[in-house]
Amino acid sequence: MKFPFFRAQDDRNGGSAQSGDVSPIVQTPGAGPEIVRPAEANAPSGDVAPGQGGMTAPVVTPSAGPTQPVKITARDVSVFYGDKQALYDVSLDIPDKTVTAFIGPSGCGKSTFLRTMNRMNDTIPGCKVSGKIDMDGQDINAKSIDPVLLRAQVGMVFQKPNPFPKSIYENVAYGPRIHGLTTSKAELDGVVEASLKRAGLWDEVADRLHSSGSGLSGGQQQRLVIARAIAVEPEVILMDEPCSALDPIATAKIEELIDELRERYCIVIVTHSMAQAARVSQRTAFFHMGRLVETGDTEEIFTNPRERRTLDYITGRFG
Amino acid sequence: MTDATPEMIETAGGVADTRRDRLQKGLKARYGRERRFRLYGILAVALAIGFLALLLGRIVTQGYTAFYAHEITLPVYMDPARIDRAYPQGANYQLMTAEQELRRLGETDDEQGSKALAMRSLFSSELKFRAAERVRENPALIGQTVALSAPASDEADLYYKGEISKATPADQRRLSDEQIEWLDRMKADGSVRTHFNAALFTNGDSTEPELAGVLGGVVGSALMLLVTALIAIPIGIGAAVYLEEFSPRNRITDLIEVNINNLAAVPSIVYGLLGVALFINWLHLPRSSPLVGGLVLGLMALPTIIIATRSSLKAVPPSIREAALAMGASRTQTVFQHVLPLAMPGVMTGTIISMAHALGETAPLLLIGMVSFVPGVPHLINEPAGALPSLVYIWENASERAFHERTAATIMVLLAFMILMNAAAIVLRRRFERRW
Repeated sequence: MKFPFFRAQDDRNGGSAQSGDVSPIVQTPGAGPEIVRPAEANAPSGDVAPGQGGMTAPVVTPSAGPTQPVKITARDVSVFYGDKQALYDVSLDIPDKTVTAFIGPSGCGKSTFLRTMNRMNDTIPGCKVSGKIDMDGQDINAKSIDPVLLRAQVGMVFQKPNPFPKSIYENVAYGPRIHGLTTSKAELDGVVEASLKRAGLWDEVADRLHSSGSGLSGGQQQRLVIARAIAVEPEVILMDEPCSALDPIATAKIEELIDELRERYCIVIVTHSMAQAARVSQRTAFFHMGRLVETGDTEEIFTNPRERRTLDYITGRFG
Repeated sequence: MTDATPEMIETAGGVADTRRDRLQKGLKARYGRERRFRLYGILAVALAIGFLALLLGRIVTQGYTAFYAHEITLPVYMDPARIDRAYPQGANYQLMTAEQELRRLGETDDEQGSKALAMRSLFSSELKFRAAERVRENPALIGQTVALSAPASDEADLYYKGEISKATPADQRRLSDEQIEWLDRMKADGSVRTHFNAALFTNGDSTEPELAGVLGGVVGSALMLLVTALIAIPIGIGAAVYLEEFSPRNRITDLIEVNINNLAAVPSIVYGLLGVALFINWLHLPRSSPLVGGLVLGLMALPTIIIATRSSLKAVPPSIREAALAMGASRTQTVFQHVLPLAMPGVMTGTIISMAHALGETAPLLLIGMVSFVPGVPHLINEPAGALPSLVYIWENASERAFHERTAATIMVLLAFMILMNAAAIVLRRRFERRW
C-alpha cells in the first residue's frame, strides 16, 4: 500500500543529501547520566572520516532533575527509502514520563525516527528500517509484534489536525471501540469523557459531543486528536510538530496539556520551534542530516551544547 | 527623507508616473483578455444550451402526439345470425361493425364488399377482442344493440391528429377520399373521443402502432439494469479497492491497470460479440433475455466503475489514513471505516454515469438478440425481453408512420427513466457526502 506522506518525503530528500560526513554520537545504554562521545566537535565535518575510532575520551555529563526509567531504547537505527538512506545509526534512550523533544532543520530525519517508534514507516512502500528499537525491553520490530497492537500502545499526533469526519464523540470512541477496550455504552461514555477532560477539551465540547469534529477550530481539533490518542490508554505518545499549524494561543494550550500528560505518558515531540522544545521538554535530541548529533537534558542542550552544529542551530545560524 | 528637495520629489514622482502608466496599460490588456475569455465561455455555454434545446424541442414536438389517441364508439347490433353462441370469439365483429356503420352513413357497398373492408381498416383490431370479451361475459347481448368502442386504427388516428392531410394527393396517402369523408362524418356525429394514450404505458410492443406500448421496454431495461448493477457495482468497487489499497505495486498490477484503462475504451459492440460467444454460445443462457443483456452491460460498466472508484480513493486525504492507522486500525478497518466512506460520493458518481451509459446502450443488444420483436411484458430475467433503446431502434425502422411519433415518445420515456435514476442516485449520494 502506498501513502504519499509528505513528511517522509521531506525527510527522504534532506536526509540523504549528504551522507558520511558526520559521525554519529554513541550513547551507552541505560538511564541516568549519559556517556557521550562528542567526537571531533568543532572540526569541519567534511574533514572527518566516517565512524568514530575513539578519538576523544568519553565525557560524562550530569543529568538534571529526577531520572525516569528508560521506556524506549533505540540502537543503530537506520532508515532507507528505497536506495536513499534517511537516517544513520541513531542510538537513543527515551525515558518514561518525560517529554523528549527532537529538534533539527527540515529533512534531518527527526520525523522519520519518530515514525519508526510506532512502525508507521511500514506503510510506506520501499521503506526499510534496520537496527533495534526496544520498548520495555521488547523489540518492536520483532515478528511477534503486531503493528496494530503496537499502535494501541504508542499513540501518535500529527502536524495537521486530522480528526475523522465524524462526530466528536465518535472520534474519541473510535480507538476503544476497535480495540474492544470497553464492554458497555456507559463505560465508553466514561472513557470519552475522561479523555476529553484530560485533553482539556471537555468544557468546550460537552454540549455538542455529537456534532462534527471537523467543525472545531484548529487548536480544538488538535486537542481532540490528542484526546482520541489517549482514549486507548497508550504508554507512549508521539507528536509530530503538533503546534506548527496553530496560533500562539492554541499552541500555549497544547503545550500546557503536554506538560500535564507528562505525568502519565512517555511523550516524544518533534518540533521546529526551539522555544517550544525549551518550554515543554526535559530531554532534547538534536538531529542533523539524518544523524543524531547531540542529546541531553534540555537545559544542558540549550545553555551549554557540546557540538558546534547544535549551538549554530539553536542560535538560529542555520536551519 | 524629511530634507528632500522639491526637485528630488519631482523626479521620483516622474519615474513613478511612467511606471504606473506602463502598469495601467498592461492592466487594460489583461482585463481585455479576461473579458474576451468570459465571452468565449458564455458563447460556448449558449451554443451547448441551444443544441440541447433543439434536440429536446424536436423530440417533444415530434412525440407529444403519441401521448393522446382517438377512440371510436359505435352502436353495433349483435346479429344472432353472424355470432355462433357456442364460439363467440369466432365472429367477425370488425366487418359486422363496418357494414352497419356504412349503412348508417347511407353508403351502399359493392359486391366485393370493398367499402366494408375500407371502413373496417379504420378501427383497430382491438375491436374484435373487446366485442368477443363482452359477448363471452354476457351472452344475452346477442340480438341487442351495444355501444362498442375501440381505438381508431393508426391511420385514422394520424388523420385526426392532422398528420394526414386532405390536401395530399389521394395516391400519396394511406387513406382514400372516401375513408377521410367517413372519418369526418364519424367525428361530426360525436362517435370519436380523444383520450390520454394509456396503452402506450400499459402495453408491450405490438405490430399495430395503436396498441404498441413501452412497458415491455421499461420492464426489460429495468431488469437488465438490475443485473448490471448487481454484477458491476460490487465487483467494480471490490476490484478498485483491492487494486488501490491492498495490491502490491508490481508488473502484474501495472499490466492490469493498463488493461482496465484499455477496456474502458473498447467499442460496445465488441462487448456484444463477447456476450454472444461467452454467455449464449458457451454458457447457453437464454437469448434476448435481460440476464444476458445485463451481464454484457455489466462487463462494459466495470472499467468505468473501477477507474472512477480508484480515482476517488486516491483523492481521500492521506491524513485520514494516517490517523486511522496510528490509532491502531488494521488496513481493512482503515479502508472500510474511513477511506471508502469518504470516497463514496465519487464512487457513486462513477456508478451513476456507467449505469446511465448502460441504460442507453444499444449496440451490444443488437448482437444478443434484444432488438427482436418481443410482444408483451417480461417478468423474469431469463424471459425474452426488449429494452427501451432497442424499442427506439425497432420503431424508428418500422414502416408504419404512427410508430415514428411513438419513437419520440419512447425517447422521452428513456430520458425520464434516466433522470429518475440519476435523481435517486443523487439523493443517495447526498446521504454519503461528508466534509473533512
